[in-house]
Amino acid sequence: MPGGQVLENQKGLVEIISEKIWKFLSSVKLAVVLLIILAIVSVIGTLIAQNEAPEQYLREYSQATVNLFETLGFFDMYHTWWFVFLLFLLTANLTVCTLDRFPHTWKIITAPLKPLGDEGLKALPFKKEITFKGGTDKAEERAAKALAAHGYRFIESREGGTAQLITQKGVYSRFGVYITHISILLVFTGALIGAFFGFKAFLNLPEGEASKFVYLRNEPMWDRIMATLGIAASPVIQNTQGGVPAMPLGYYVRCDNFDVDYYLDAMGMPTGMPSEYHSTLSIFDLEGQKIFDKRIRVNDPLTHHGVTFYQSSYGAVPDRAGKVILKIVLKNNPSEGETITLDPGQAQYVRSIDRTIRVLNFAPYGVRDPATRQVAFYHTDNNEFINPTVELGVYQGQKQVFSTFVMKHEAGEPVMPENYIIRFVGVWGARYTGLQVTKDPGVWVVYTGFILLCIGPLIAFFGSHKKLWVRIQDHKGQAMITVAGSANRNRIGFEREFNAVVDDISK
Amino acid sequence: MQSSMLFTIATLAYLAAMVFYISFLSFKKDIIGKTATIVTLSGFVIQTVALFVRWRESYQMDIGRVPLSNLYESLVFFTWSTVLIYLIVEYKYKTKIFGAFVLPVVFLALAFINVAGISTDITPLVPALKSNWLFYHVLISFLGYAAFGVAFSVCIIYLLNDMEDRGSPVNLIVALGLIAGLATLGYMMGAAGGNMRRVFWYGLGSLFLAWVVYLTVAGARNRTQVYLFWSLCVTLAVGLLVAMGVDFVLFKNVATQESFRKHMFESTFLNQSVGVRLVSWVAVAALFTLVWTQGLKLKTLFKQYTLSSDMLEEITYKMIAVGWPLLTAGIITGAVWANSAWGTYWGWDPKETWSLITWFIYAIYLHARYVRGWKGTQMAVIACLGFLSVIFTYLGVNLVLSGLHSYGGMN
Repeated sequence: MPGGQVLENQKGLVEIISEKIWKFLSSVKLAVVLLIILAIVSVIGTLIAQNEAPEQYLREYSQATVNLFETLGFFDMYHTWWFVFLLFLLTANLTVCTLDRFPHTWKIITAPLKPLGDEGLKALPFKKEITFKGGTDKAEERAAKALAAHGYRFIESREGGTAQLITQKGVYSRFGVYITHISILLVFTGALIGAFFGFKAFLNLPEGEASKFVYLRNEPMWDRIMATLGIAASPVIQNTQGGVPAMPLGYYVRCDNFDVDYYLDAMGMPTGMPSEYHSTLSIFDLEGQKIFDKRIRVNDPLTHHGVTFYQSSYGAVPDRAGKVILKIVLKNNPSEGETITLDPGQAQYVRSIDRTIRVLNFAPYGVRDPATRQVAFYHTDNNEFINPTVELGVYQGQKQVFSTFVMKHEAGEPVMPENYIIRFVGVWGARYTGLQVTKDPGVWVVYTGFILLCIGPLIAFFGSHKKLWVRIQDHKGQAMITVAGSANRNRIGFEREFNAVVDDISK
Repeated sequence: MQSSMLFTIATLAYLAAMVFYISFLSFKKDIIGKTATIVTLSGFVIQTVALFVRWRESYQMDIGRVPLSNLYESLVFFTWSTVLIYLIVEYKYKTKIFGAFVLPVVFLALAFINVAGISTDITPLVPALKSNWLFYHVLISFLGYAAFGVAFSVCIIYLLNDMEDRGSPVNLIVALGLIAGLATLGYMMGAAGGNMRRVFWYGLGSLFLAWVVYLTVAGARNRTQVYLFWSLCVTLAVGLLVAMGVDFVLFKNVATQESFRKHMFESTFLNQSVGVRLVSWVAVAALFTLVWTQGLKLKTLFKQYTLSSDMLEEITYKMIAVGWPLLTAGIITGAVWANSAWGTYWGWDPKETWSLITWFIYAIYLHARYVRGWKGTQMAVIACLGFLSVIFTYLGVNLVLSGLHSYGGMN
């Protein structure tokens, strides 16, 4: 039609360009090329240590190399504009591919099953002709039975003397590839939501202290953009004492207690190899009302108002010895006792036994020889409290009655000459718990993506859209049966099934 | 019975199975093939029992952890998964020929553990590893690796089957010349110190990559190059294994895992004595020459088994179609675990990144068949490259690069 021709020629420049872009973005070739590029550039970031201190880089590379790498962004490669751009291109590619192909797939999925003519049957990859002696009715019955036996539900179509049984299985498998692709898009979307509205922060909280701020590693992008545009002030406090920007929580988090458990040796003594770190955290509202507490450990964090606190590290608070907690029980009544808390060097009068107890010495790691009862003090790295031990002096008035050692894990009996026992409960306040704090509102989108990403490939690779046609024609009183079929995946498996169906019909 | 005893019995069963499979390949007697399968199966059952016994032992020692968390246990589990996947392939495709290739790998890995004196102790876990995710993450990842391992074995056979001639001996001479030249250059630049060494390795890596890209783009037209690639893959696999084996045997009594990493290849390629180094490289050249000249003879052996290229390609594809979803799930369970431990599901640490690179390579493989003109040969090259990446993800990253997975765990 000439009119159509004219319209064709008058296609605007914009239209031509957008068509070109669409075609470019919808090609599998682009996907493969992008995957190749991503695979290659990802290697770079594993060879060059990421986000190290500048001095570290200068130690490893020359100034010129550092400058070059700096310009290319190799020191924080996975966050450079060009790497993000590659991921963006992949996203666009996936989206356009899906939009481009899905309508076609949808047509295949929803297409009604139709009887096929000679040509159509011949074009199918699997076909077989059988001559059946019992007549068409019997043949039809036999074919119906065979299909049902293999789990195919069929529809029937009749035209003149020809009947066709048409059936399909596994249509859903056509969705597999889309589920996979969409799940990847979901993961990207979730990651973006996290980057825009979430943050990563840390908080070193000494035992007994509370904080209503956490210190940011990265500020939520959304807050920054809003602040830059002057739309809303960022909640982030920039001018803190340490210079690290702080994010207000809207409540207090307090470290009630922190401790490390160690694996024990055959004697029941700690080996120095940590088996668990745990902190008890309490949440208070801004009025000081306690809301709840939880004992967190590695792999088991606490979440409040979308912010999660992870046990991450620990350490000694500089210049703080901590308080020693002791429990004194009478030998004849071990169920009751008095608990006292005292600083190293300090003395305290204990009414129930009429004695004054003084902490003479403290060590984070004490070992008692079970035989001689001699106690040795050891120093530890990072002030690890492997087996905290105190030396105590017990006084009556000014006069020392005896001195003894008590420790967290006892080997051998501590010296307790009088009618009471002093037990070591703990050292408190000398250490801080290192918390990793994150808010990530996108994580559920990512997780949904993860679940779909586990399901999608299974459907795509192990499902198969199988179609079967059984045509029955009358041929001089005998039935001519044509079985034909196709499968979009796992042809070998389908061939086996196809042959079994044919066998069932012809036997 | 103790788990170590059971592991030894399983190892011996695999050794017997290996002999049976290879004899089956040579004599083609049905009874031998059947015995091979039965022996493998019983070895597998014993190994499975042994894994559970070891698990129980860890509870008796009051440590109570899944037997999947150190180098020894992961190597054992890798062999277990490989045998499992192999048995499934044998059952599904009714062919025993791959056994002659898979079982030696399994036996060598187990023998390697024994001679190497890798610590078999059940050691306690650091807090970061105490998570139920550890089990799922490692289990799934290793099943994936095993599927890729079988895919690799099959596509190595495919590449061989695909070859018509190996081209003129000039190819071999040029290749040997290149190996000699690059090795010399490597020593020189390595001796020059820090940055030069790095430049050499980056250069070599880029060169190899460029070659592989060339093969995937033009491989179908230049078969002799693909044959060279095949020979190199086989030489690399055998050579590295032997070199590491020699290291292990010589360092057996002094080596912890840490010191082994530092002294890797010092008994061969990095030896103090120039003579030893020279001998090592001559051995490499000899191995390469042997593979290159004898490879096609192996092909005539396969000819008797009517292995069609289609079937080999199909199995490779199937194995990758099994492995890739497993790898995906392995990466995902790792990410979920990391999120529950550190609040970050993806941190771009080298091991994560390398598993992603592997994921990319196999994704390329899965999409490449929809790109016009990319046929079997190129696909097989990509599949081989994928497995090299798997090996690097598994061993290389732990040994060469550092990150969370070297179990530093906490700051």
